[in-house]
Amino acid sequence: MRHLFGYEERSAALFLAPVMLVLMGVAVFPIFYSLYISFFRIKLTRPNRTPFVGLDNYTDLFTNELFWVSVVRTVTFSVVSVTAIAVIALLISLLLNQNFRGRRVLSTILLVPWAIPYVANALMWKWIYDSGYGALNGVLYQLDFIDKYMIWLGDQDKTIFLIANAFVWKEVPLAAILLLVSLKSIPSDLYQAARVDGAGVWQRFIHVTLPAMKPGFMLVMIYETMMAIRHFDLFFILTEGGPGDASHVLSWHIYVETFRNLSFGSGAAMSYVLALVTFALSYVFIRTLGRRI
Amino acid sequence: MARIRFENVEKKYANGFHAVKDLNLEIRDKEFLVLLGPSGCGKSTTLNMIAGLEEVSDGSLLFDDELVNYMPPHKRDVAMVFQSYALYPHKSVYDNIAFGLQMRRAPREETDRRVRDAARKLEIEHLLDRRPSQLSGGQRQRVALGRAMVREPAVFLMDEPLSNLDAALRISMRAEIKELHQEMQTTFVYVTHDQAEALTLADRIVVMRDGVVQQIGSPGDIYERPRNTFVASFLGNPPINYIEGQIKVTDDQMVRFVQGELELNFPAETAAKLADCDGLTVLLGIRAEDVEEGSHGGAGAVLTGKVNSVLPVGSDLFLGFELFGNELFFRVGKDIGHASGDEVSLTVDLNRLHVFDKDSGASLIW
Repeated sequence: MRHLFGYEERSAALFLAPVMLVLMGVAVFPIFYSLYISFFRIKLTRPNRTPFVGLDNYTDLFTNELFWVSVVRTVTFSVVSVTAIAVIALLISLLLNQNFRGRRVLSTILLVPWAIPYVANALMWKWIYDSGYGALNGVLYQLDFIDKYMIWLGDQDKTIFLIANAFVWKEVPLAAILLLVSLKSIPSDLYQAARVDGAGVWQRFIHVTLPAMKPGFMLVMIYETMMAIRHFDLFFILTEGGPGDASHVLSWHIYVETFRNLSFGSGAAMSYVLALVTFALSYVFIRTLGRRI
Repeated sequence: MARIRFENVEKKYANGFHAVKDLNLEIRDKEFLVLLGPSGCGKSTTLNMIAGLEEVSDGSLLFDDELVNYMPPHKRDVAMVFQSYALYPHKSVYDNIAFGLQMRRAPREETDRRVRDAARKLEIEHLLDRRPSQLSGGQRQRVALGRAMVREPAVFLMDEPLSNLDAALRISMRAEIKELHQEMQTTFVYVTHDQAEALTLADRIVVMRDGVVQQIGSPGDIYERPRNTFVASFLGNPPINYIEGQIKVTDDQMVRFVQGELELNFPAETAAKLADCDGLTVLLGIRAEDVEEGSHGGAGAVLTGKVNSVLPVGSDLFLGFELFGNELFFRVGKDIGHASGDEVSLTVDLNRLHVFDKDSGASLIW
């Protein structure tokens, strides 16, 4: 009897089956189940009444004022973070691409933030920003930049930027490594040709370095935007969305709606909106940045 | 106009590698000079020093008597074609060619005219909107040439520009580069490890080895009168044959090469140069093509030996030939009707023999 698939395909399927089963259980099923419940009004405080409401959970979002606040906060946080990550990572990758003594040690040290888990990073920054014993207050006070200890995370105007700072600190190393890889792939001949053609340092950067880094930049922009839009840990540990709604981002909004208000239906709907927005943004990045590569 | 002079130039790298040693060389105006040698011989380093891409460690580099040791590349009025072509991957062919002029702030109309002019000459007008990744190797090569041409430089530098092309294209591009030189009437410095390229293109060839110049001369000079075994071996296909033996000067002033049963009498002109070499161990060099089949007599000496191998290469035949224990390779006409194992007589042209000192490798006759 002839089989539809060859021996290799069949044994591959056999070996992959256990993992596929686990993935079905923990990833594929939840994805479809959450889409399913986003069409119901499910509130765990009324577990026996879960009416089908169609797209109501989605349309309600447009009239929910706090949802729009969270969208604005998320956009602010993401734009500030991703811009800062791209610029700082670019500078660091350019530095690490030079030959100097201690370059290897410096690259190793720079990778440390990347190795720290998100929650540990958040707890560390909570300590740094602390109003009573925080290192930030300590340093600024001793340098005479401030005359009294500040409640940093209590300031509505500063909170989102301080959280962005903690996020940038954690994300820069990976971005810098990704950019460094594209820098390293530029043939030295191109720089020599540009020098003979009369291009100075700045012109070589504009005409040779930057265009060659485009794929690296695209990767960094897509990855970091996705990370920033969906980031939760820092908001949970540092401010819980506060003070007021100053750091009430979308991921925090979804958490509150789902696990504090126990509204699983509308929480699921919001999650889907967030996923679609992330997907759309990546698509835009790939179309605009990827076109000319 | 550009005359380039190296005076006692040294190039040492930070890691201690001594790439070029005591280079003294004058490149004449409008000359086509080829730097020839194996990889690591310092030829590319020499070219990069002319371009200003490598600093001169010691000595003087002069352009028309002006010291340029510390002059940056863009002020030297040189253009360069790289082995990898080094085209800017994100720029169109047009922008690649125009880049050098744009960096020098040439007027837009002037740039456009020169770019289109160069493109027409190189027959790449229809490719101006493409990107390098959309071009074949040969087309990229033309773009690289165009980029150097539009600048109308005083010195045209080429670093193994043909080595990434296939054999047929390499030969046709060789002819085009030669034409380009005649048309542009400017100084060309060309680096290669390919002897055929050097012999066909050069007005003069500089053979280098381990950073030291071995010989400077016209292609004919280098090929016919190699100064040492390195130069003799580097040029020629199949390579020159060597037989180790002694010089014997007889009582009647005849000078003879002796190896076991093999004895050859040098003609008078050669003999005069070897008169005081009695007893010296030498390498007798016989170029692969300096034999003829059969025994002709005259100025020739007849070598009789056994055919070891017959390798047809299309136009000719390479003949592996065993002579008193020496394995020699000769290039003979393809009509020779011999097979492995046959006994064959070949006549060697005694006027074309080379004699090298075995220890130093230096030629005893040139």
